[in-house]
Formats: sequence, structure tokens, C-alpha cells
Amino acid sequence: MKIIMNRDRLIESVQHVMKAISQKTTIPILTGIKIEATETQVKLTGSDSDITIEAVIPKEEEGIILIDEIVPGSIVLHAKYFPEIIRKLPNEMVEIESDDKLQLSIRSGHAEFHLNGQDAEEYPHLPLLQSDSSFSLPNDLLKNMIRQTVFAVSTSETRPILTGVNIKVEDDHLHFIATDSHRLAARKIPLEVDQANLSFSQVVIPGKSLNELNKILEDTDEKIEIQVGENQIAFQAEHLYFVTRLLEGKYPETSRLIPDQSKTIIHADTKTLLQSVDRASLLARESQNNVVRLETKGNEVVEITSNSPEIGKVEEEITIKGMEGEDLKISFSSKYMIDALKIMESDQVKIEFTGAMRPFIIKPVDNDQILQLILPVRTY
Amino acid sequence: MKSIQPVVSKMLVSSINKERISHAYLLHGQRGTGKKYLAILLAKSIFCKHQERAEPCNTCRDCQRIDSGNHPDFHWIEPDGASIKKEQILHLQKEFTYTGMESNRKVYIVSDAEKMTTNASNRLLKFLEEPSMDTTAILLTENSQAILPTIQSRCQLISLRPLNNKQLIEKLEQEGLTEANAKIFAAVTNDLNEALEKSKDEWFANARKIVVQLVEMLQTNPNEVLLFIHTQWMPHFKERPQAQQGLDLLLLWFKDMVYYHIDQKEQMVFSYHYDKIEKAAMHWSKKHATDNLSHIMDAKRKLEQNVHPQLVMEQLTLHFQR
Repeated sequence: MKIIMNRDRLIESVQHVMKAISQKTTIPILTGIKIEATETQVKLTGSDSDITIEAVIPKEEEGIILIDEIVPGSIVLHAKYFPEIIRKLPNEMVEIESDDKLQLSIRSGHAEFHLNGQDAEEYPHLPLLQSDSSFSLPNDLLKNMIRQTVFAVSTSETRPILTGVNIKVEDDHLHFIATDSHRLAARKIPLEVDQANLSFSQVVIPGKSLNELNKILEDTDEKIEIQVGENQIAFQAEHLYFVTRLLEGKYPETSRLIPDQSKTIIHADTKTLLQSVDRASLLARESQNNVVRLETKGNEVVEITSNSPEIGKVEEEITIKGMEGEDLKISFSSKYMIDALKIMESDQVKIEFTGAMRPFIIKPVDNDQILQLILPVRTY
Repeated sequence: MKSIQPVVSKMLVSSINKERISHAYLLHGQRGTGKKYLAILLAKSIFCKHQERAEPCNTCRDCQRIDSGNHPDFHWIEPDGASIKKEQILHLQKEFTYTGMESNRKVYIVSDAEKMTTNASNRLLKFLEEPSMDTTAILLTENSQAILPTIQSRCQLISLRPLNNKQLIEKLEQEGLTEANAKIFAAVTNDLNEALEKSKDEWFANARKIVVQLVEMLQTNPNEVLLFIHTQWMPHFKERPQAQQGLDLLLLWFKDMVYYHIDQKEQMVFSYHYDKIEKAAMHWSKKHATDNLSHIMDAKRKLEQNVHPQLVMEQLTLHFQR
């Protein structure tokens, strides 16, 4: 294998790939970066077995030649040393060459490094995903959908399936659902392609992987291609390929949890409510689920209170835009409420209650694409 | 493998051919009976795509990566220090909530499974109880009784046959050892290579001499035995595994004495010291000798429990003189 190319582009790609590599892995080969050169491109791969990131550097892009010379081949290099070396090389151009004894030399200017490599055959290979279950979304929409659901995944390992976000296609909509059994975050968007094209019904993606993906994606409106396989899901951006393993098991049925009728409906200003709950939470204690209390006062006023006997108490009355139905007193976790209100895209929210001991839902006023469900806290 | 473990290999081969691999195996056998080899062979048969009648090819990517420990769907757990810790099982547990990396199959091997801490065993139990599809657990142990009964009952127990001693003795003789020596090495270890190594080891030769000296001294000069322990025994058997080996030799010696008493002289290991054993047998009655055997076993256990080696030896010799 031999590559002569520009150093800056290589550094950029190496940095993307490095995000997937963990030093703590139990599989020795995964401490390395795989470099694979074909006639037309150079591909870098990093993995911690949960997620795998591939970065592709084409030989030329829009008429600009990125790689001057390629001789095909592949090798695995230790991820601790290779990026550091590339970063500190003296010259703009770098020459990477490997021989058949897995010895690699890196030359730039008058500096020359020799590294021991490992056999690329040992590296796990990604199964090729069939393309009949693929669809595409704009980058920023995907990022938003991740942001609006992933915070609600469970952090405890007692029910592993809940540590992931459930993605399913139903009624011509793409659904993202996450829950930790105390609250639920759901987001849906209408699908453009025919549903017949999609051969998967539902998958569960680990929350950790989605967080990682969110960090890597750029906030643009470029399209990203999503391919769903049996064991993996892949996100294909222009020069980046992100693959994560899925969680095994059946995601619980969530549609029955969402109440379809309500006794009390409140319309409120998102920002006012958020700030008020945030203030009240200052005195709420973490040991008791950050409980705050909401009470309707008639005349389009609600009172938000929080009381911790050994610290003090807070009361605040806010004006709301409108209220229908019965009067209500309800207690809930301020943390969950803040999380839910933060990701609402609209200025006005609608909150639907079905009694003090029943879960309530929060939606934007103008559409029902975002849905947040929170379980109240029993207080005496 | 077939020659050493004919029954077990036949059983596994037919279960692979009929695609009826159990979700958990507990391989139980003494040192050197080929547990690890068998477990890896089984894992390869599961992953290898070119297997022929349950024999893996050993040359494809999957086989080679199992050998080098780089296969992403194959996990090998062994004691980290003295025991298998909870964290190691926790890692495994996390791994199994995910789907497979390259295939749908997952295999994990827990070597020295009796060394799992209670916490670790209970965690392991959790997913032995609810095996996900196409997962195979292989537990290896030398002492299946030390494993939680709840784990045992969830595994298919496969007992590896102890190695045939006669075969090993014959092999050792072919390698140029005298018959008497071959017997001793075959008694000390089950592994041919280890036996050959030991036969060239000067330390081991000295160890044998010291054991014989100790026994003689116990008969002729009991007052100076403690001194002997201090000046000769302790400096030679410094490390814990070495001390265990010293006790093993002592154990063999007393076993020979029992064999002498019950007139099964062909079983004796120290046959070239026949006269000395005869003399010792005059000194210790059969009952005495068997008592001493249990004392030595006691001492071995204490060493494992981190009792000071010198105290263990002193107590043992005092027991002998009773």
C-alpha cells in the first residue's frame, strides 16, 4: 500500500474516526485504525464494537486532487500513535507506505517514522446493508429528532431495551420514541418515500450511539441516508459512514400509555412556564425527585409551588393563555418538566391532564409531531 | 482430540451436525485434559463457515480471529488476578443486550469458572436463565462442585475423562525417560510437555530429594525435623505454587505407603525407592498413613487460604510425629 496525500485532509478524517475508538476495548485489534486504500479512495475505519465510523477520502473531489498517488492495500495501525504522528509532521504532504511484513513508514519532509501494523484481515468487517430498507432525512432534522428524544432514555441497566430509542414506521410516519418508564418522549415526521419501500417495522438504537452520532453530524440541511439492517443501522453522510449495533429485544408497546381524552387542558407560554418551573426547582430536592406542584387558580392563573421543610418554600403565580375543564392540583418532577419544555419548538404549549394520579402530556399547540408524557409524583 | 476424549468429542460433533447446540456447557475436567482446546474448537465450529462435518477449517478469517482473540462476537473471560470480578461479567452483560457485530451468533467462554466471585456468579446466572437466541456459553472448570448449583443446573455438564496415565507413561518412556521417572512425572502432571519440562528441571530434581530426606528424617531424627524445615524445605519451596508441589510429592509418597500396605505394589510411584518405602511402612501403620494423607490435604487447603507456609509445614510435621 502506498498513499501520498495532503496532511490536513487526513487529520480531519482521522479525527472523525478517532471518536469511535476506545482504549478500554476487550478486543485487541479495535485499539487500531484501519486504513484501506483502493484505486479511487482511501478509507479510514475506527470502532469500539458498538459503533463504527468510516471516513472516506476520495482521490479527487470537484476537480481538486486530494490524493496524489495510491497503491491499493490495507493495514491496521495503533490509534494512540498514528494521529499524533500525522498531526506533528513537518510538511504539507505526507507519504504512507506499507510492506508485506506489516511494517509501515510515514515520510514527510525529512522526518521518517516506522510503525508496526497489524493485519487488516483481523479487523471486524461491516456487513453490507441491503439498500431496500433505506430512506433519507436532512441532517438538521435528524439531529433535532435525536435531541428531542434521546434525553429520555433510561440510564439504568435493569431493563437494557429502555436504554435505546425506538424507531418505527407506522401510518406513513417515522416515529422516534424513548422512555425510562417515568416519562416518555416521542417525535414523529411524515415520510416522503412510499412505505412499501421500507422493509423494517421497528428497531431500537442505543441512546449512547445516537448521542455520538449527534456530535458528529454537522448542522446543515444536507441529506443523510439511513439504512436499516438486521443487526445494524447505518447513517451515510457524504464522506462519513456511521454504523451502530442495535439493541436486542422487543420494545414495550407505548401507544396504550398515552391517554386519548383529558379532563383539564392548559394552554401556556412555553418560556414563562419553563422559567417558572426552573425557579421553583431551586428549592426542590433531588432526593425527593425534584417535586414541584402545580395548582389551577381559575381566572387563567396557575400557581407553581415547591416546598422543602428544612430549606424553605417558593410560590409563583403565572398567567396562562387559557384553560378548559376541571380544577386540578398535581405534583411532578421539575427535572422531567424542564427537559420536556426545553425541546418544544413552539412558543405555546398545550398540556393535557387526566387527573392528579394519571400521566399528562405536553404538546406544541400547532401540531402533534412532538409529544412528551410525564408521570406525576404522589404526594401527601 | 478424538484420541484423548473420544466420548465427549463424539457427543459434540453429533450435536453440531444436528444443529442442536445447547445454550450453555459446563466443561469439567482435570488440568491438561484439553478443556480450553475443546472450548475453542467448539467456538470455531460455530463460527467457521467452511467447517466439514463439525471440523473447523482453522484457516479462514473467523477461525484465525478466534485464535488471536480479535473476533468481535467471541468473548473470552478469565480471572483478573485471583478471581473473576463482577465488572467483567457486567461488561459481558452489556455486550449481550446488543445485537451481534458480524453474525447473529455469540459465544462466550469463562475459563476457571470456579473462580467467579459470588456477585459475578449471580450476574452470570441472570443471563444463563434467559438466554437470548443463538448465544452459547462455555464454562470451564477443574472443580464443578465449586460452582453454584443454580448455574450447574442450567448448563449441560460435560465431564472430560482424566487422561489415561498409562498412555502418558508410555509416551514419556518413548521420550527417553526411565520407567520409574516416567511414573513420577505422569503422577505430577497430566500434560506431556509439562512433564518433559519438569524432567529437565533441576529444581524439581532437588525437590524430590528433599521430600525423601524429610520422610527419612521423620523416622530417624524427629527432633531435628523442624530445623530441617527451616533450613532446607522453606528456602527451596519459596513460592506458593512451589510449596503446593512439595506437598503434592509428599502426598504421593504417603500414597505409595498405603499401596504397600494393601499390597498393590505395581501402583507405587516412587518405585525406585522401594526399600525406603518399605522401611517407612514399618514406621507408620496403614491407618497412620491414611491419616497423614488427610493432614497433607488439609495443609494444601490452608496454603490456598493464605496461611503462612512455614506455619503450615511445622504443623504438618508435628501431625506426622503424633
